[in-house]
Amino acid sequence: MSLSIALTKGRLEKQTVGMLEECGYGIESLKNKGRALVFPDSVYDIQYFLVKSNDCITYVEHGVADIGVVGKDTLLEGGKDYYEMLDLEIGKCKFIVASLPEIHLFSKVGHIKIGTKYPEVAKNYFLKKGMDVEIIKIDGSVELAPILGLCDGIVDIMETGTTLKENGLVVLDTVCDISARVIVNKASYKLKKEEVMKVISDLESMVKKNALSDQ
Amino acid sequence: MEQIQIPEGMRDLILDQCRKKRWLQSKIESIFDSYGYQEVMSPTIEFYSTYSNAYQNIIEEDKYKFFDQNGRILTLRSDMTVPIARVCATKFKDIKPPYRFRYTSNVFKVRQKFRGKQSEVTDCGIECIGLKNSDLEVLLCAIDVMESLQCSYTLEIGNVNFFKKASSYFNLSSQKLSDLINSKSMVELKEFLIESKVDKKAYDFFMKLPFLSGDASILDEAYDLSFNDEIREVILYLKELNHMLEKMGVHHHITYDLGKVPHYKYYTGIIFEGYVAGVGTSVLNGGRYDHLLEKFTDEYPACGFSVKLDYLLDVIQLESQTKMVIYYPASKQIEAYMKARELRNEYSCVECKEYDQDEIIIKEEIR
Repeated sequence: MSLSIALTKGRLEKQTVGMLEECGYGIESLKNKGRALVFPDSVYDIQYFLVKSNDCITYVEHGVADIGVVGKDTLLEGGKDYYEMLDLEIGKCKFIVASLPEIHLFSKVGHIKIGTKYPEVAKNYFLKKGMDVEIIKIDGSVELAPILGLCDGIVDIMETGTTLKENGLVVLDTVCDISARVIVNKASYKLKKEEVMKVISDLESMVKKNALSDQ
Repeated sequence: MEQIQIPEGMRDLILDQCRKKRWLQSKIESIFDSYGYQEVMSPTIEFYSTYSNAYQNIIEEDKYKFFDQNGRILTLRSDMTVPIARVCATKFKDIKPPYRFRYTSNVFKVRQKFRGKQSEVTDCGIECIGLKNSDLEVLLCAIDVMESLQCSYTLEIGNVNFFKKASSYFNLSSQKLSDLINSKSMVELKEFLIESKVDKKAYDFFMKLPFLSGDASILDEAYDLSFNDEIREVILYLKELNHMLEKMGVHHHITYDLGKVPHYKYYTGIIFEGYVAGVGTSVLNGGRYDHLLEKFTDEYPACGFSVKLDYLLDVIQLESQTKMVIYYPASKQIEAYMKARELRNEYSCVECKEYDQDEIIIKEEIR
């Protein structure tokens, strides 16, 4: 049976396509994209499509895509009606809590405001800490919000930490690590198990190979 | 601007969709009837406390809520199992079980916004109450329902006791662990097991559990993984069920998944889900729940399942129907209507249409 795979475009795209290529998948059309939206595999009965990370979950949950590759950051914010079967160990970064150094976020008395692009992640993190905070959704350059005094701290993705440092923010805690994950539609796993598991195990062997070469 | 929207998660069904839904409903209901299940109709509105009493981990945000005249919290029913348990406790308290009930009712759940999910769906199902050994009967009925859809399908059976017995043996029983296994979240599962400092035996067992799915041969693999008699018994029971299904020749679309452990505190034995090609989610769900009835009445074992009719509408193909159409001039209306009445004894649908010719003509057309 034919498979549909939704790949998150942008940051993860190149590495994901690279891994598929190394596994022997026919991804030529994904490398010379043009304006196409759907890309057939030249070796296997698979079609790929490139989507925004949030949409990747939606497509997989509805079973329009059997498999999706998407960052854990997006998974933590979105639905959870899928199987999360593999960590591709690419696109690694972390969720962190940061604030200006003079603000003692965790010992502050009174109302605390947190700016973030990821309200679910922020909410759950502070809930676990036993803190009741107000979350303010910010869509871009979250670092700006505490500088301008909109909030006391932020929850955001950190890759290198340079942006934070340049803006005088200090990292107070790590919420969790993030990397690209392979998610699978539940019905597809039952009805196309063989095809789905082939992709998973091919990618898994590539993850193991990459881990070895990193050492 | 006139008010033309419908609330989030709701849908209008029209024309063919209604026909498909009715067709499905009557087909499935006639299967339930043929097994001796009798219909129950309960109110759309229940007290919220009926549900919070029935379920330990009720998700408040999932329920539509409002108040009655006295300020008590009401809810739109979110399933039919709880109302039926309540009916058993009140209307059937002097009648000895077993009870075999069937229902077709709309159930409500608040779904996340803008994700294309339905908050109101029609649930068509059965509950077999008061019998410990009704698994086979209920499964056979589920198989008949899946067969009747005329789609390629899989009916997947699990047993929550495999997880329950193993996790209590390792002292690891928790909602978190069952959730991770149920969603095959291999990364977090690994982290959780390492954080919980489990020994190698437990680690290997739980890391394998999500992948214990497939045809009946997976039961042999599960048996080999079983490390005490209690757990082996769970697998032996599934093997026996499988043997009986094979003997009856209805095993061809049956698969097994021992990593299927949703709501592990609610289910007490087998649990099963039906999937059809073309639908991204399960269309049939059921299982054994021996501890629900005691929240309302005596301790009765129970097993049941339901089909979400709305999820199937896109994959059902119905043959096109025909109708008779009588075209008539305005002057011959009475004659045409009388002819139509006569034809309705013979045809299921006869329509009358006025036109600008002089003669009455009768045509067969696609409906």
